[in-house]
Parts: sequence; structure tokens; C-alpha cells
Amino acid sequence: MYWLKKLLGVFATLLLVSMLTFTALYLIPGDPAVLILGTEAEHQDIELVRSQLGLDRPVAVQYFSWLAGVLKGDFGNSITFSKGYSVSQLVASAIPVTVPLAVAAMILSLLLAVPLGMLAASRKGSRLDSLILTLSQTGLSVPAFWLGILAIQFFAVRLGWFPPGSMPKWSDDPAGAASSLLLPALVLALPRAAILTRIVRTAMLETLGEEYIRTARGKGVSEWSIVTRHALRNALVSISTVAGIQLIQLLAGAIVIEQVFSLPGLGRLILSSVLLRDLPVVQGAVFAGAALILAVNFLLDSVYPLIDPRIRGVA
Amino acid sequence: MRKALISLIIIILLAGCSTTPNTDELAVAIPTDPDNFHPHQSVAAATAEIAFNIFEGLVKAAPDGSIIPALATEWIISPDGRQYTFTLREGVKFHNGRELEADDVVYCLDRLRDPEISPKSRDYTDVESVKAEGNKVIITLSKPNAVFLALLTELGAAIYPREAEDQLTNKPIGTGPYLLEDWEPNNALTLTKFPDYWNPQLPKTDKVILKIIPEPSTMVNSLLTGHVDLIPRLEPDYLHQVENKPDLQIIDSPMNLVQLLAINNSVPPFDDIRVRQALNYAINREEIIQGAGWGKGTAIGSNLTPAMGPWYKDLTGMYPYNPEKAKELLAEAGYPQGFSATLHLPAPYPLHRNAGEIIADQLEDVGIKLKIEVIEWGTWLEQVNTNRDYQLTVVGFTGRIDPHTVLNRYQSQSGRNISYFNNPEYDMLLVRGLEETDLAARVEIYQQLQTILAEEASNVYIMDPSQIAVMSKKIQGWVNYPVYVLDLARLEKVK
Repeated sequence: MYWLKKLLGVFATLLLVSMLTFTALYLIPGDPAVLILGTEAEHQDIELVRSQLGLDRPVAVQYFSWLAGVLKGDFGNSITFSKGYSVSQLVASAIPVTVPLAVAAMILSLLLAVPLGMLAASRKGSRLDSLILTLSQTGLSVPAFWLGILAIQFFAVRLGWFPPGSMPKWSDDPAGAASSLLLPALVLALPRAAILTRIVRTAMLETLGEEYIRTARGKGVSEWSIVTRHALRNALVSISTVAGIQLIQLLAGAIVIEQVFSLPGLGRLILSSVLLRDLPVVQGAVFAGAALILAVNFLLDSVYPLIDPRIRGVA
Repeated sequence: MRKALISLIIIILLAGCSTTPNTDELAVAIPTDPDNFHPHQSVAAATAEIAFNIFEGLVKAAPDGSIIPALATEWIISPDGRQYTFTLREGVKFHNGRELEADDVVYCLDRLRDPEISPKSRDYTDVESVKAEGNKVIITLSKPNAVFLALLTELGAAIYPREAEDQLTNKPIGTGPYLLEDWEPNNALTLTKFPDYWNPQLPKTDKVILKIIPEPSTMVNSLLTGHVDLIPRLEPDYLHQVENKPDLQIIDSPMNLVQLLAINNSVPPFDDIRVRQALNYAINREEIIQGAGWGKGTAIGSNLTPAMGPWYKDLTGMYPYNPEKAKELLAEAGYPQGFSATLHLPAPYPLHRNAGEIIADQLEDVGIKLKIEVIEWGTWLEQVNTNRDYQLTVVGFTGRIDPHTVLNRYQSQSGRNISYFNNPEYDMLLVRGLEETDLAARVEIYQQLQTILAEEASNVYIMDPSQIAVMSKKIQGWVNYPVYVLDLARLEKVK
């Protein structure tokens, strides 16, 4: 029953997202036919192209025929951005870019934030603590796109360690694809790591102040063991909640970073198709993005009981 | 377990080795994906530029703007200018291996001029019939049409095999020097040499990868680090990053693009010719060329560029920069204190945006205050180009090889006449230009058309911006055209 409710919620959200996207695209000026024909368009050409694309039908009819297709698993075809490609093809080729990028950024930010946050918490008030806090404040204030441009200048142009943009196919050159993702993942990870460091520090401080930690100390358990085995485990609940929200923000942040690094991901697909008013592609890509975010939420909900036995009874 | 680990490491090392660059391969940076490779559907300049290497028509444009043989080796025009007889080249093959037949030409051209299917049919309304006779194709026109041959050089008139009709949008089949091997939207297009191309000398390079890189700074960085060999169209704002580099060469050439401050002639105060003339006197073209084009560009005085050769008439002297004269004209027109107006600028074109900002500054000196609104391209096309709901805008009109298709935009009823230009003499001359078969008389007509546009101060014509191509010094064979194409077949990388 619980899962059924959850699932219904997911479908309702997806339906709402698709309706909002559709409406938004109709409200902004710029018709796909106008974009296809450009500055050389005559009015009768626009009418011809509109009818060829089925854009002369009432908006509601267009939406429901799209929805009927989706229910059959058909997301339609691109109309302006890269004609002849199906939306599923375009989305399917973008996901292996965006998902590894977001996951790699998540892992990198955890790898940075958890040790730094723990270190800061265990040395609260020390010079090291204030250094870490200052670094995190800096990381928070730097916009990701600017960091991206700087990183490209330094690591790609000056040092030549990474390509400055674009990405080969995974199937053609897996090592090259991975190295193309590393720098953008790092750029995406840094501001996230900055926030997470603070969360880890606060969560650890709270836990370290609890009675059972004092008991453990009294028993003579080493400080290292207290921090890593006793406190961290308890702090994980709040850390994973924030990490989940961060992962969702990472997917959103990928839109900007994919543009800066010319990566063929979901964010760039959404941007290029919005600019060209490619309605089916925007619909499909936003739908896929929403589905990914819902999946993260869903996973997060299922992970809590594993971390915290107290939650198990509730579900 | 250890064995598995070792083999994994070996696989990763091998994968690393496989990336050593092939020398007979070129990487070219382009900013956007093509839209659609079907010759009858595609209108995007970004597509025509690439499709030039994949498709061919009966004839094609040469770098000097003349018309040269392609799938037809020769053609005869009947004395009354109504019948064109083309002789097809022997043994031409399509990318699918089949030999070109005269029936393919008939099929493609008939479909192209069918108004029910093809948005490009309007250009071909004078075509009465297209017939195949052995290896000859005979096209009959209802009346002489001086632009007809030039139209056949365009992507719309490309010849493709009938059986490929339904796949052309993303799997083009043509007769050109390159075939499209792979297209990964938002990432790259791979072109490979067509081994059966009718000219065995071409193409020079086996494989060309067109990398889609939307950010000009990423394009430049990719060139500096050797990840691409060539940027065919660099934004002038990035010129300083590639100048004085020992490994790079910069080739700038005319683009045959008319950059203009378009004026809506139908709304006050711009319906007054004195106000439009004042704008023309108040704008300093040289300053715009320096400021927006970084010195790369040629000033123009009407809607045709010097790249059009004999057709072009130099009218830059008609309105020399003279703010005092502009103020006088404004006062005469009843605006001694100037006025305010809105200038719409298209966001994706830095050259037009920068030019617009300089113009706003220059016009302020004569009392005209412009409110700048930068709008995204889709909005610009709908609001300005289609609905003509604007006062002033800066944009560029792409050049073609015949002046008629460029200048007929200002025919009073044309859907492309965003300036609402209306001049009966102009309309009449356009009709004559199309029917006139004597070259000298035609040149005279089109020069007169340019003069009328300038005299009426229809718009402020600014410049033909330069196409700035930047490439590694190892690249040879770059050719520039007065039309929007990218000739990849002659490019090669030497050691």
C-alpha cells in the first residue's frame, strides 16, 4: 500500500511536470516553424511547415496526442534540433553523460567533504577548523561556470592534462570519455563539497556532544575510533539527506557545466532544444530529468532504514 | 582476482593507446548541429555549410561566385532563355553505390517545385517541366528567369537517389566528396571520404570530424591544445586569443553578409525619410567595424556587398558620417530635441549585439535615445522577423550568388521585407531584372536597385563582416566562397 501510494505520487508528479513544460513552451514567443525557416521565411512557408509539423492543431489536441504516444512508450521525434532522431535516442545518448557526471561529482564531493568535516569537528576551534571553514566559505561563493572556465584555462590549456571540452563516445574511447568527465565533475563537486563540509561538521559536533560518546570515551575507546565508528554512523542520516538534495542540485548544475565543457548531456540537450523550440525533445528531456530526480528521492527513502534502524518501524 | 585486476589494467592501457591521433584526419569546430539534411526541408545556414560536402546539384558555385559544372558537364540555354538542356556527367555514383540517372534529376526537381510538399517551391514557380532524355535533362521555363541557374547551385536543388527519400533527414545520401558516417547530436558529425567520387583528386583528407562546440572560448581552447585543427568561423571578440601564435594562421575573407540597422519604415518617426537619413548620417560605420568587428569588415552603403563582384555598386559615399547634418535633418523633421526608440538585438549574435551598443552610443550624440532590448533568437524571429513588431534592430542577411534573391527581399509584398520598404519603381525594376537576359543590362538594373535602397535611406547598411578562419599552420587548401559553405574536400594537413 505504501509503495503503491509512492508510485502514484511519482506518476502524478511526472504528469504535472509534462503539463507545465508544455504550457511554458507555448507561452514563450518563437514558433518552431519560424525557427526552422529563419530570416528567409515567407508567411506561406511558415503555414506549410506548421501544418507539416502538426502545429496547426489545437494545443490540447497536441498535448494529448503526445501523452497518448508516451503511454505507448513513444516520445516522438525531434522537429527542429536534429530532425530524424527520435527523442528516446537523443535522451538515451545524453544520460550516459549526465548521470556519470553527477555521480562522479557526488562521490568527489563526499570524498572531500566527509574527511574535512570530520577533521574540523574533531579539532573544533583550532586553526585547522577555521582554515577548513574559510575554504568552504570560498567554495560556496564561487560560481561553477567561472570555476569551470578557470579550470579549463589551467588544467586543460596550460597543463594539458584534460581535454578542454567535448567528449568521445563511451564505446569508442572509454578512457577518453572518462577523462573528459573528470574535470567538469571536479568543478561541479567543489561548491557541493563546500556545503557538505559544513553539514558534516555540524552533524558530527552534535553527535560528539551526546551522552553515549562520553560513555565511549570513559571506556577508553580511542578518539579515532569514536569519530569514525561511533559518531560518523549516527551523523550519516542527516549527511545522506543533504547529499540526496545535493545530487538533485548537481543534475541541475550539470546544465551549466555541460555547456561550458561542451558535453553532450541532458542539460545541453534541454538548452539546445529550448532555444530551437523543439517541443518533443524538450518534453522528453525534461521528463527524463524529472524521472531521474524522482528516482534519487525514491532511492534515498529506501536507504534511510538501512542507515538508521529507528526508521525501519515507521515504513 | 589478481589476474582479473592485471587484465583490467592492460585493457585500460590499451584503451589509452588507441587514442593516438590519425594524421589523415581533421577536426573542425562548429557551433551548432545541422537541423535537417533533407535538401527540400533544410534552410539553416549551419546545415547548408556542411551539406555542401555531401550533396551536389547539376551545377555548383565556385569560390569566385561563378557557376561551374557539377553533376552536369555542360548546359545549353535556348535563345529565348526558356529551355535549359543539361548533359549529365558519365558514371557518377551515389553514396549508396547506385549510378546517377536522369530520372533522379527529374524526380528531385519535380518534388522541389511541388508547393504542397516543399517550402522552397516558391523560387521555382517559373519551371514548366523537367524531362529526361537519355543522359540529358531538359528544363523548360514559362518565361525567362535570369536567376534560375544560380538557384540550381543551392542545397535545395541537390540530387539524391529516389529510394533514399525517407531517410535523408539524418542519413543523407548524395554524390558529394564526403559521406556522413555518423552524427551524434550535440557532440560530433563524422564525414568520411567517398571512394567513388567522380573527381578522383578529391577529397584530400580521409576523415573529417566536425565537433559541435557552442562556447567560442571552448573552441579557442580546443584549437590551442590541438583538439581541433580548424575554426571556420571565429567570433571577432576572440581574435586576440589566437593572434601571434606561431602554430596558427588566421585567414579573413569577405562573408557576403549584409549587416544592417534595419528600420521599420512604417512606424513614426521612421516613416519620415529625413529621420532615416539622419540615422544614416549619425552612424559611423568605421567605428562599428573597429569596435564590433575588431577591424575585420568592409563598410557598405546598400543591401549588397563587394563580394558580389560586378553586381556591387559602391554607395558608401552617400551618407558620410556627419552628426551635425543628422541634427539638422532631425530638426527639419520636427525633432530638434531628438526622440526615444527601442532597439531589439538578437542575443546569440555578439557581432550584432556589439554593433547595436555602439550605434546606441552614436545616436545619443544627435539626441536619439535608444532603449536596448536583447532578445533570444526564437523571440527575435517571431516578434521582429515575422510580426515586424519593432522599431529598430541589427541583423545580418546571408548572401547568395545572384543579386536578385538578395534584393527581392525589399519587394513591397515580400514576406522577408522586414523594413516595410515600399517603392513602386523598385518593384518594377525587380520584375525587369528577372526577365532581362542581357548581362550588362541586368547589372545596370541591380545597381539601380541598390541606389534606390540607399537614396530612400531604407535602412542603415553597416558592413560585410569578415569570416575569420583560424587553423593550424599545417592545414592547406582553405577556400573562401561568397556563399555560406564550408569546402572540406580541398583541406589537408601536411606534416
